[in-house]
Order: sequence, then C-alpha cells, then structure tokens
Amino acid sequence: MWRPPPLLAALAAATLVAAADPVPVTITTDSSGPSTRVVLMVEKGARCKVVQETARVQVECDNPIAPTPRSGALDDTILTRFALEGDRTIVFATGPGFRRLDTFELRNPTRLVIDAQGERGAAPARAAAPAKAQPVVVIDPGHGGVETGAVGPTGVQEKDVTLDLARRLKALLERRGLTAVLTRDEDRVLPLDDRTSVANHNRAVLFLSIHLNASKRKDAAGAETYFLSTGATDAEARTLAALENKAYDPGGASSEAKAAAPPDRGLELVLWDLAQNSYLAESSRLAESVQAELNALAGARDRGVRQAPFRVLMGATMPAILVEAGFISNPEEEARLKDAAYKDKVAEAIAAAVASFAARS
Amino acid sequence: MTSRGASALLLVALVACGRTDRRAQPAPAADPVAGAAPAEGETAAPLAKSTVTLYFPSAAGDTLTTESREILDTIRPAERGTQVLAELLEGPREKGALAAVPEGTTLRRLWVREDGTAFADFSDELASGLPGGSSDEILAIYAIVDSLTANVPEIQRVGILVAGRERDTLGGHVDLRRPLRPDMALAQKKAE
Repeated sequence: MWRPPPLLAALAAATLVAAADPVPVTITTDSSGPSTRVVLMVEKGARCKVVQETARVQVECDNPIAPTPRSGALDDTILTRFALEGDRTIVFATGPGFRRLDTFELRNPTRLVIDAQGERGAAPARAAAPAKAQPVVVIDPGHGGVETGAVGPTGVQEKDVTLDLARRLKALLERRGLTAVLTRDEDRVLPLDDRTSVANHNRAVLFLSIHLNASKRKDAAGAETYFLSTGATDAEARTLAALENKAYDPGGASSEAKAAAPPDRGLELVLWDLAQNSYLAESSRLAESVQAELNALAGARDRGVRQAPFRVLMGATMPAILVEAGFISNPEEEARLKDAAYKDKVAEAIAAAVASFAARS
Repeated sequence: MTSRGASALLLVALVACGRTDRRAQPAPAADPVAGAAPAEGETAAPLAKSTVTLYFPSAAGDTLTTESREILDTIRPAERGTQVLAELLEGPREKGALAAVPEGTTLRRLWVREDGTAFADFSDELASGLPGGSSDEILAIYAIVDSLTANVPEIQRVGILVAGRERDTLGGHVDLRRPLRPDMALAQKKAE
C-alpha cells in the first residue's frame, strides 16, 4: 500500500492553504476551424463547468479564478467576445451563427474545451449547404515550438518542414474541394492528445500526421507510412493498463508522478484505444494508397507501410496515419526538403491519395 | 538452504548491485520476486552460464539484428533481465550492429511482476540522447522489449520508465503509457 511520504503530505497541506488565491486560468480561442474552439487551462484548485444560457455560454468555477486574458473579442459569428463576471464566472457571448455546444475535458494539465458549432460568415444561411458536402481532413504537422523534432546536418528542423509540407498539402486539398484543418498553423508546442482532438471534434474523415525521420545511420533514406500497430491495442494490454495505474508502485522518485496522475487514466486509455481500433483496416488502406503515391515520386526510396504504437494516432476516431516523408538526417534528403519544388511534389503525392480516399468515405 | 544455494544468491546479489547501483536506493519492499528463494532442486551451480540472444539495431537497415552473449545462469527473472539489459547497454560487438540506446544510458532498476510485466527504469539519456526520429526511437524501445521477452520466459511485456518516471513517449512517437509487447517483425525482416 502506498502512503505519501511526509514531504508530499506537507506539500499537499501547503496547496490547501494557498487555495484562497484566485486560481490561474489561461484562455485560448481558435476560430480557424468549422467550429469556434475555446480552451481553458485551469490550474489546480478550481473545478469549472460549462453552462449554456440564452445568448451566452458561461464557465462557472467553484473557486475564485484569475483568467488570462480577463476579456477578449473574437472575430467570429459563432462566439463574439468573453469577459470575467464576478470572480468565478467567465461569460462568452454567442453570435448569430451559433447553433450548439460540445464540451469536453482533457487532463494533465486540466483543460476545458468548448467547441461552439455553428455557421461562419456574415450571412449564416450561405454556408449551410456546401459545408455538409465538404469532408474535413485534419493535417497534423509533427512537433513544434521547443519540440523541434529531428534536426538535419545543416540545421534544418523537422518542425519547420512538417508545417511547410502541411500548409502546401492544405492548399492542394482545398483546391480539390476538401476542407483541410491544420492542428497547428504556427510554431508552437501542441500536446499529442490535442492533435487528435482537433480531428475528432471537426468530425474529420481522416487524420494525417506529417513527420520526418532521422537515424544515426547516415545512409538511412526514404519515405514510409505508418498506421497503429494491432499489438498496441491488444485487449490484454488494455486491461492491464487499467490495472497498472492502480497497482504498480515503482517507488523512489516516481511516487511523485504517481500522486500527480489522474486516478481514471487507465479507463481513459481503454476508451481512446478502442477508438482507433475500429479504424485499423481503413487506416491500413489509407496508408497503402499514400505510400503508393510517395513511391511514384522520383528520388523517394520506398520503405513501405509499417505499424507502430504511435502515441499521436492512438485517440483518433477516424482512419489515421503518420507519414514519414523522408530522412532529415540524410544530407541528400535534407537538401531536397529545402527545395520548394520537391516539397510541392511530396504534398501533391499525399494530396492525390488523401483526396481519393476522402471521396470514397 | 544449502551453502551452494546461499553462495549462488550472494553472487546474484553482487551482480545486481554492480549493474544497477541498487545500493543508492531503498530495498524494494513490494517486489514480489525479491523474497522468493529458489527451490532446492532448481539451485544451479554458482558459475553456470546461459546463452542469451540480444537484439541490436542493424547497421544495414532499420531492423533488429541478433548477437549472442553468455550470462550467469541466474534463477530469478529480475536478475536474469538485469544481466540481459546490462549486456544490451554495453553495446554490440559485431560490425553489422549499432548501439541500441543513446550513449551514457544506464539501467536504474528492473522489476518483474508475477503477471509477466517487467518495468525497466533507465537514466535520462535514454530519452534526451535520441536524435529525434521515430526510426531510432522505435528501434531503441524494441531492442529493449525484444531482448527482455526473448530471454526471460517470465517476462511477456515491458514498461519503460525514464529517471523513475512514467513518460508518454521518449521523443514524441511511441506510446509508453503502458507496457509493450515484443515486436518480432522488426527482427524477422532481417532475413529479407
């Protein structure tokens, strides 16, 4: 039986005393997707819930909060502005395009996500018909911010190339009549769970994460496409995962980590794993067709379709693949990945496969 | 307990101390295997050797290639696994293989639970020393998982910890939130 060491108990007591201070809440908004998304990162010490009222959406917390920013305006017809009211409620004003609300909570750190669904633009009726006809594809540029990913021999960073490729791919897909949403459209850190969340909450027909590979083998080269390995979603492993988080105590330094872990993490894992499990056959088909297009690219060496327990694919509720577009550690491939014409060819190859897959789904 | 059995245990304890710096840590009270003394009949001769197969990343392509090593024929799965990982961390001896883990990586501790799950706790270098690509990350992880499961019958899956902590991933790719089963497909491709 694990008992908190005296130091941790003392820390816990100190936290309780400090709870009188307003709890920091960081608010970020994103109007770039079909829905307007608000993420509230709530520090320890407050629990908040979302309440929908007439012409407003309220986030009500059980303790005083200190939001950053305290108020703001969204250039948006779904949600228009927000402000702190009193010391524990944030009010969001809904616009003419607002239709309904989806909310969910992410843990570690605690984030309350509000997806306000509705119609964009000044004339809400205009968007209604074509919006339904256009399938949404979510493209995830790997890494970002301080998480640079792999770095090439001349210093090219994976996070920059993946974003560049993702933007090119988005433009090509939109030319083909698809709606493409990027999980990040700037150089910033984005947690892996948030990446699939973007796809899940946009009801995307597919999720595609773009990465570049690296190896200490300097001659390693070529492109490959991954989908989730079946071993990773093994039923026994899932059951274990639920037990693991309750039963095992590695001792020493990890006691702290254990104390910080949410108690229902095992259940969370089970649910997420089941999600991608039912799409493995389709993910495999998508991976095969993307890889076939990449193989047709002059100069790209075929490394085939592979499976691995990629963390970022785990929670996707649609076909999901990860494309390793080339080895940035290989001097020749790094040079190619600096070339705009080559990047267009890679994006075009992926776009062709994605568009035909989306058309059939 | 016979004196032979006692000296075998002492030897095992010394090996474990030398490999993992266990002296710096408190005794694992909850370790179910720690208290299990070998039964009379199973007691091996103190210096008996056992041949194990290690999995290293191949220098020719991104698959795993095998090398053999002799270890002491210890009985307890945690001791056997500790020896296997010590050999793996020392690196390959043949030209066709590459180091499985980043330079400087050490094993802090290995537990083996009765349900077949091992937890291997490595120093920070395992994560911080990776170059950032999924390829090396996958190979490092499965060199560890495959080497342990192939040579210690009691181990069916391996949880990887870094500096005593659970991690989501080593470098943003492979999910480490729960123990992994071996991926022998990485080793089988060698034949192609």
